[in-house]
Amino acid sequence: MYSQKELVIMSEADNIGIVKVPVTKGQKITIGDGRPDNVIEAREEIPFGFKIAIQDIKGGETVYKYGEPIGIASLDIQKGEMVHVHNMEGLRARGDLNASE
Amino acid sequence: MKDQFLGYRRENGAVGIRNHVLIIPAQRQLNMVAQKISDMVPDTKAFISLGELGRPREDRLVLQRTIVGLGMNPNTASVLIIGSTPGAGYDELKVEKISGEIAKSGKRVEVLLLTEEGGMYSLLGKGIKVARDMVLEASRAVREPFGLEYLTLGVKCGMSDSTSGICGNPTVGRVFDRLIQAGGRAVFSETTEVIGAEHVLIRRAKDETVAQKILNAVEETEQKAKSVGEDIRETNPIPENIAGGLTTLEEKSLGAIVKAGSSTIEDVIAYAQRIEKPGLYFMDAWMSSLSLPTGYAASGVNLFMYQMGGAGVPGREFPLPAVSSGIVTPIMYLTGNYQTYERAEDNIDFNSGTILQDLETPQETADRLMTMILRIASGAKTKAETFNHQDPVELYFQGPSL
Repeated sequence: MYSQKELVIMSEADNIGIVKVPVTKGQKITIGDGRPDNVIEAREEIPFGFKIAIQDIKGGETVYKYGEPIGIASLDIQKGEMVHVHNMEGLRARGDLNASE
Repeated sequence: MKDQFLGYRRENGAVGIRNHVLIIPAQRQLNMVAQKISDMVPDTKAFISLGELGRPREDRLVLQRTIVGLGMNPNTASVLIIGSTPGAGYDELKVEKISGEIAKSGKRVEVLLLTEEGGMYSLLGKGIKVARDMVLEASRAVREPFGLEYLTLGVKCGMSDSTSGICGNPTVGRVFDRLIQAGGRAVFSETTEVIGAEHVLIRRAKDETVAQKILNAVEETEQKAKSVGEDIRETNPIPENIAGGLTTLEEKSLGAIVKAGSSTIEDVIAYAQRIEKPGLYFMDAWMSSLSLPTGYAASGVNLFMYQMGGAGVPGREFPLPAVSSGIVTPIMYLTGNYQTYERAEDNIDFNSGTILQDLETPQETADRLMTMILRIASGAKTKAETFNHQDPVELYFQGPSL
């Protein structure tokens, strides 16, 4: 777990972080820990505890938290956008996907 | 210093943290009598179930395990069983069967039968008389110091939000590790919430057999979800999870499993199955807080921990998800979300949200939790215990109803 002022990143392999405080649009967030880009800009308001993309994630790409897959992006997600049900989805126990299995 | 608590030593060497007299109706039609006896006599608990009638044998065995397990639980000082007539009922639930099993613990077991007492009114009167005597006797017991090797903890997470996997569950996990290292026992469950995290969990299985049992349990549950054509996203994560920042079942599961710490998983047990040896166990069961605490209590759990997120729960001073569903096992509420704690401090015993506020390290938070657990195990009440209320419980039956 890497905890910064506004953000927690659970594992190095993650492409999302969790905001520790409510974040406003345009707010600069430090991600640190030797990552190439040290600061990201929130592209929208993000409530306490919600996920923010710390890299660009293309539609269909895997989203990682705790260093493990938690689903895929259902749309292209830009760095600094909130990541939630509107732009990602889980893949497990999906009875509605049975036809394609 | 060694972690110690003050508990009640039982006849078979097990140690209780509470000292209840348990009243068990052997048949459903005796629920009212059992409940009324309990209403009249403090320090008693009645186990009121939805009954045995029309349930297949496997489910009657679940009820049997639950009844016997609640009687055997070391938080139970003695047991009063109310039956109808000698030999009545299904084989698995005959009064002779359940009283004989519980009596193996060496504790006092009394049986009162409707036909022998001459009907409902005299059964009720006699029940009150016997229950009062049992409470008097139980109250003479004195607490003695014991180490963690005498303690069994159970955990469930609920109303999870994004803090659950960051603060709340990891704090419980650290406490579990300390308990297991000291020779204690712990159990976690909620098979649906292992879906998506089973590959992480099986790394900690004691051996291949246990790993396979975990995979089988998860596979079976996932198939159940699929068999009803359900998009599990509409059932789990629940709306409160999504409102709290959790997006997918995989995300919820990965955050959920950390509540069990990092110890080896000794075995997979069924709902209400007794834990026989020290170590960490996985119970293959349903997540409901009106079901799991009862199953844990029957397995021998002394103290049930409900670790809550709560961001998605609206309002201030919101009611607790479950009260007294552990019957003889108290429920302690915890949260990893400081906002939840501020909104419902009256109902929540412990706050680990301090980690995200940078007020405490995860280790300091876990130490503080262990101190509180030892205090509760020594007799301090949990906040949920200050209600005179018993939620209905729903045992984990597989059906079909026949």
